[in-house]
Amino acid sequence: MKPSSFHIASYCRIIDNNIVKNDEVLFTEKTGDLSSFLKKAYKHMEIRYPKFFKMDTLSKLAFIAAETLLKDSVEKNTALVFSNKSSSLDTDRKHSASITDSVHPYASPAIFVYTLPNICLGEISIRHSLYSENSFFIFDEFNPRLLTDYCDSLLSTGKTEKILCGWVDVDKQEYDAFLYLIARTGVYPYTTDELTRLYRKT
Amino acid sequence: MGVLSAIGNTPEDNHASLISEKAGISRITKIDTIHKNEIMVGEIKATNAELKQQLGLSLDLPFSRTALLGAVAAAQAIKSAHVQDINDCRTGLISGTTVGGMDKSEQYYYDYFQNDRHWGHINGLHAGDSTQKIAAYLGLEESLVTTISTACSSAANAIMLGTRMIKSGLLDRVIVGGSDCLCKFTINGFKTLMILSDTHNTPFDENRKGLNLGEAAAYLVLESEEIVKRRNKDVLAYVKGYGNANDAFHQTASSDDGDGAVLAMEKALKVAGLNKNDIDYINAHGTATPNNDLSEGRALLRIFGKNVPVFSSTKAFTGHTLAAAGGIEAVYSVLALQHNVIYPNLNFETPMKEFDLIPQTQLKEKKLRTVLSNSFGFGGNCSTLIFSKEA
Repeated sequence: MKPSSFHIASYCRIIDNNIVKNDEVLFTEKTGDLSSFLKKAYKHMEIRYPKFFKMDTLSKLAFIAAETLLKDSVEKNTALVFSNKSSSLDTDRKHSASITDSVHPYASPAIFVYTLPNICLGEISIRHSLYSENSFFIFDEFNPRLLTDYCDSLLSTGKTEKILCGWVDVDKQEYDAFLYLIARTGVYPYTTDELTRLYRKT
Repeated sequence: MGVLSAIGNTPEDNHASLISEKAGISRITKIDTIHKNEIMVGEIKATNAELKQQLGLSLDLPFSRTALLGAVAAAQAIKSAHVQDINDCRTGLISGTTVGGMDKSEQYYYDYFQNDRHWGHINGLHAGDSTQKIAAYLGLEESLVTTISTACSSAANAIMLGTRMIKSGLLDRVIVGGSDCLCKFTINGFKTLMILSDTHNTPFDENRKGLNLGEAAAYLVLESEEIVKRRNKDVLAYVKGYGNANDAFHQTASSDDGDGAVLAMEKALKVAGLNKNDIDYINAHGTATPNNDLSEGRALLRIFGKNVPVFSSTKAFTGHTLAAAGGIEAVYSVLALQHNVIYPNLNFETPMKEFDLIPQTQLKEKKLRTVLSNSFGFGGNCSTLIFSKEA
């Protein structure tokens, strides 16, 4: 199957306290920091998944974005190909603060396990029972060309049926998520130009 | 093949210890940890100075123990494969490690704020540093040199990637395996997770208390059929099958039913073109943690049903050597094939209450054609390799 016969089935952007899916605003909040925004989004979307509250911020952000796109998808052979620029730095800082605490220096397993960016892929895999391919890249900026090369290889070798792909970045209060689902059918063409267009417009 | 572990400095030494039931588990002597009276480890006897001497390296060079162990084992592998000129064909190095240079960077962490004397050790923290040093020591030029860090399946994944690189014609020869030394970071980390045993580890036993950490390095030289033919070489064994799967369950624990392990074994059997009945021996991951042995046991039952092949874990000999485990156990799998023996699973007394699986507890002689080796890493990174005598 040639990758050209694939489409973007849906996309989700989370930035500036807005969650957009396929050009439509799903949820918005005027004020509040990222952490409270994600919590409110979780409630608004009526998700029941208590493990969410144990996750680090990067995983929560990726989880909410993935939730909007995967909740109606039954295909289990869905690969995850994510990228960002800040790796797990947001959690690394918390871990560093915890182990160098002057009163009670302590390496907390609850924080430590999130000191890798690809843990969010694990959280999504656990949530949606995905035993599929996954990869996490670190780039300076959203790089649709490289992601597309990688995805094309997965698709053309028959490794996967669908791919949840994109960008999830968190550091301190700066954040940005742009995920898209590549599938055999969909409304948007699957090209790097289209990905750039969707990313810039939202 | 080359291997350095708590039970020997060569494949032959390791084999001798395995068949005479000589475990390498003891109290820790080389690291001054506050847990030294509570834990048992699989420690390699040689000091860093002795290893440097053996390698002909100046004592001041900032080599982590991971790099030193790796260089010794990889050089041994190259020698035993009768490679005279490592650059006579496209030769790669794929090395698994989790500790990397952490043993030294944790030692010099506070000094580093005062002066730059140990900058080399601080800079050697990352996993790739040990691989680069091993490649340089072996004299590898302009070739694929890469590191895999997928926790306890690292070396198994290195072997898998190397096999695929040769299959796809991208390399002619590849040195694959892994190296991990003991350090405070892993001791403290596993201690925090409460999966370190305070006594000898007992794989697949009902009363197992957890794992003993170990250190080791092991490498195998894989060559393409063309190189083997051209040089008229003896082949020790074939990497017949391989599979890697995601367990999709938890950051550290394996799923209760061994979903990832089942997928990895299924994939490996498929790649090998073998039926489950063709497996003569399983070198299990068998870390002796409550979680692993239950999950792996259930996975074995799901794949093999009533006819689970003879299996044993060699972790009671070596401890769990993390990234190197898949490497030393690949060497043990090949040794088992060569000698037609199944190594005993030490310290087993009571079958687990969840099932009636009983590992091979005595040395057993058996004509072996195929050995399956499991390596499962944190994060649900599950890998299976199948080695065979015949192509």
